[in-house]
Amino acid sequence: MIDSARFDQARDRIAAAGFTPEIQSKITLLLSAAKNGNLMFHANLQWMPGLGVVQQFIISQSARELEAVTLLARTTQWSSDPALALTASRIVAPLVTAWSQIMLPPGPVFNPQAAYRGISLGHAQLARIRLLPVIPENADPLDPFVVALTRIEQENGRMLQTQIRLLKSIGEDVPLEEREALVEQDQELVDGVFNEFLTWLAAP
Amino acid sequence: MPTTQYGHHQVHYELTGEAGRPVITFLNGLTQNANLWTSYADYFVPRGYRVLAYDMLGQGRSSKPVIDIPLAAHADMLDQLLTELAIDRTHLASISFGGIIALDFAIRYGRRLHSLVAMSTFAELTPQLEFLGAVMTQGLTDVGLPYLQSMLYPMNMSSQWIAANRERIPAMKRAGYIGNDGYAMQNLMESFVKFKPLTPELHKIKVPTLIMNGEFDFFTPRECHELIRKEVTNSRLLIIQRAYHAFTLEMPAVTMRQIEIFLEQVSSGSWKGDQSVWIAADDPAAAEQWLPCAGDWRRAVQIATPVKTRATAASKTTTRKKKS
Repeated sequence: MIDSARFDQARDRIAAAGFTPEIQSKITLLLSAAKNGNLMFHANLQWMPGLGVVQQFIISQSARELEAVTLLARTTQWSSDPALALTASRIVAPLVTAWSQIMLPPGPVFNPQAAYRGISLGHAQLARIRLLPVIPENADPLDPFVVALTRIEQENGRMLQTQIRLLKSIGEDVPLEEREALVEQDQELVDGVFNEFLTWLAAP
Repeated sequence: MPTTQYGHHQVHYELTGEAGRPVITFLNGLTQNANLWTSYADYFVPRGYRVLAYDMLGQGRSSKPVIDIPLAAHADMLDQLLTELAIDRTHLASISFGGIIALDFAIRYGRRLHSLVAMSTFAELTPQLEFLGAVMTQGLTDVGLPYLQSMLYPMNMSSQWIAANRERIPAMKRAGYIGNDGYAMQNLMESFVKFKPLTPELHKIKVPTLIMNGEFDFFTPRECHELIRKEVTNSRLLIIQRAYHAFTLEMPAVTMRQIEIFLEQVSSGSWKGDQSVWIAADDPAAAEQWLPCAGDWRRAVQIATPVKTRATAASKTTTRKKKS
């Protein structure tokens, strides 16, 4: 669960300071870490045998994640402070570790459990990492970084449909409650990272 | 907010008022949560009731199942929640999506009810509702949760309310966006794919039932409530003047007063479930609260019986002469 007060604190900080290079860099570091993990997973999963029509959705998702990461890299006014990258690495470490475990040999292509976990973690990321609520009402809606964040969040909702459909249709041999529990674990992991990130974002 | 378990899921609830008093349980609609009933608890607890409100699965701080949540699970969960809280029977008041759950509960668990209040709801998907539901789901999946939220304000509230709250709406939308999850909304909406109309089962509802419908509710219009009124023999239909879909939020004082009157009638034994149609007074302090409905309540316009006047009779004679 994300504490709504953390959104408010982060938004207040941005309203006061503006989208400074430091704030933009923090946001992009988080989103890029999450999206690179999902991208890497989908780029691999597309070769899973017997995907059929799903293959196109998997390929589309990795392409869209690549677009998002590229868009962010181009629109962000980067800070030159290396300490930001170090702190971001610590905050996103649970996500990076989880994606690394999923990608361990033989990888999701030949490991259905890893494939399920990757879809579940991707769902949690796309559903729970939401930055629209930190954009202050006084922000310029045509600011390139604001436009990028808005478009990325809208696209996240569309991409999420792939995970929603797959989670409903695969692994039916596993009881529903067990599958829900696996997905909830990933949500808790993502919520933990995102809560810490929002605290960091709100900090002066 | 206390929590209970339903299977693997957590359910957050709020129970206020002294133990042993009659309980009113409130069920909210889509994108809402238990907090929206706080003012109702503030009203009914000093009047001798206990109030139970909870976040339904998929909403608020309760678990939001990702894979599936059958519609029937909500009524089953309410049954379990009442058992855990040692509430044998309750009055059940509900709106919109919560109304369907309440109807389902009244059909299958009617023994646990003193009475039922069904507001802005439906027992089956009329073709209009089916198409509206489809376009809402499409908006949610193709454009996103903020789009659905933007769509719901004009669908649920009056121009007057929107004009008065225009400045607050962005913050309200943001709070709704943080508190809700698009996938969970989608799950709740998609649970209607397997939804079987409740209409053929409505005759099983035997408890006193007050059906409340906003005069201008075009989301769940009169025909939806008329279906319920016709099938539930122990019912009355009460039309809330100038109200839209979400009148529990827009006109809480009027709504609370009407529920209070109904509950008093049920408790005192003066309730008469005769499937009649009434109109709620605009003023909660008015001496007479339920006004008789003259005319056809299913129509938006009332046609007066034509009166023969000399002028019309003369024009008819002239027309006849011209024809001859």
